Amino acid sequence: MVRFVLASLLCVVGPTLAASQQAPHDSVRGAVRLVDTKNRALEVTTGVGMALRVVRLQVPATVPVTTTPGRDQLALSDLKPGDVVRVTFGARPSGWVAYTIERIGRMTSGVEPRPSP
Amino acid sequence: MTSRALVCRCAAAILAVTACQRPLKPGDPLRGLSAAERARFDQGKGVFDSVFTPETGLGPLFNANACAECHEDPVAGGTGDEVERHATAFHEVVPAGVRQCDELAAFGGPVYQNHVTPALHTALGIDSEPVPPVATAVAARTIPDVFGFGLLDAVPDSEILAYADPDDRNHDGISGRPNRFFDGRLGRFGRKALVPTLREFNDGAFAAEQGITTPASPTEETVAGTPIPAGTDPAPDPELNEQQAALADAFVRLLAPPAPLKMSGEARQGSEVFRRVGCANCHIPTLTTGDSPIAALRHKQVAAYTDLLLHDMGPDLGDICLGLATPTEFRTEPLMGLHLMPRFLHDGRAKTPEEAIEQHGGEAARSRDLFHALPPGERAALVAFLKTL
Repeated sequence: MVRFVLASLLCVVGPTLAASQQAPHDSVRGAVRLVDTKNRALEVTTGVGMALRVVRLQVPATVPVTTTPGRDQLALSDLKPGDVVRVTFGARPSGWVAYTIERIGRMTSGVEPRPSP
Repeated sequence: MTSRALVCRCAAAILAVTACQRPLKPGDPLRGLSAAERARFDQGKGVFDSVFTPETGLGPLFNANACAECHEDPVAGGTGDEVERHATAFHEVVPAGVRQCDELAAFGGPVYQNHVTPALHTALGIDSEPVPPVATAVAARTIPDVFGFGLLDAVPDSEILAYADPDDRNHDGISGRPNRFFDGRLGRFGRKALVPTLREFNDGAFAAEQGITTPASPTEETVAGTPIPAGTDPAPDPELNEQQAALADAFVRLLAPPAPLKMSGEARQGSEVFRRVGCANCHIPTLTTGDSPIAALRHKQVAAYTDLLLHDMGPDLGDICLGLATPTEFRTEPLMGLHLMPRFLHDGRAKTPEEAIEQHGGEAARSRDLFHALPPGERAALVAFLKTL
């Protein structure tokens, strides 16, 4: 599950890690705590009640970062602390690896309801 | 008998039954529960009262070994004399790439547990979780009662947001604004209104207060960011199953709000003073619940005396940030059940309601000053009113 803190630095994930290859995955919705563009990593604050967790994710260059509802493509560096994101991810020996990242709002203003398909 | 007479007799019978209802006592369930709901309330109390040990999941970090260890006075669900430590880091000048408030979730925050199990003590030589040096403030937090929280949970977001006036467009000096959880949802529970729902408040409390993992929060707290040492947590996760967690939630959800005490003439006068000096601008006397699968929570009025919004209370009361709340912003504390509280304000620093009023600052400074300026009789009346809530 998502409640996990990886305090150690990340290993670099191989560029061949394509998002489409990952089947079993989990997801997290939370606020961006930190964007580490140099190491292509993202930290998301989440949790349950007052039991909070930070999920540190590796973000391979192939991972799609999009907006909702427009689904415009973003760069990792476009994400800012306080952005609310929905991330699908999976476990690798080096840590959690993101498969998809959607920016769905801001903590300050909330999240718009998801548009109907 | 004519139909009109029949209606009158039925109405009289209903009035008689209503008049004969005994007042709800602290710890009673809401009126009007179904048999199944009442059974869940009773079963949930069993979970709420359960005392955990390390072998059954307690810790390794914890504040209490049972819900009812803290929420005990005058009955399960009430207040308690424990004082917790919460710590966060607030950046007055926001560094690039981080939020203004860091809840220190990566360092075991924001709740820093006061106790550890013997196994963790042996492994690390600590008696409590250390607050990391990056914290900019450590807050003391007293134990709230949880009576009537199910009704607060059932108030629609739209009603809370209707009271928000973040830019003080009506120029009354009051500018309540919502807090939000990290996923963008409106918060309402906790002294800083971070937590969106009662279920999450309860599930999170198992993890943060007792070190009890649940399906919703299945991993243990860290020790200031470092995973707990191997061998210090003998119970398999989750330490509480979904059914048990849901029952504990049902107990809290179905607890009735404390019945207000009968008002004297002085207290009735105080009720009017309460409104006149502006207390009711934030301590909104009545909220209305929305739809709910539980009839006893559906479309009910609750004398909560809160707007569930954040207000700047001034620097003297300020401590930690949390979510969008700055150190000086606090959620308007519900005043329902105030007559059961032995001390007041978020950290218990006020021993009387008068002291609590006198320590209001920020947006509440005007009401505090008006309170000061009242004739002694009206001040006493206002306090008499508060003591009935």
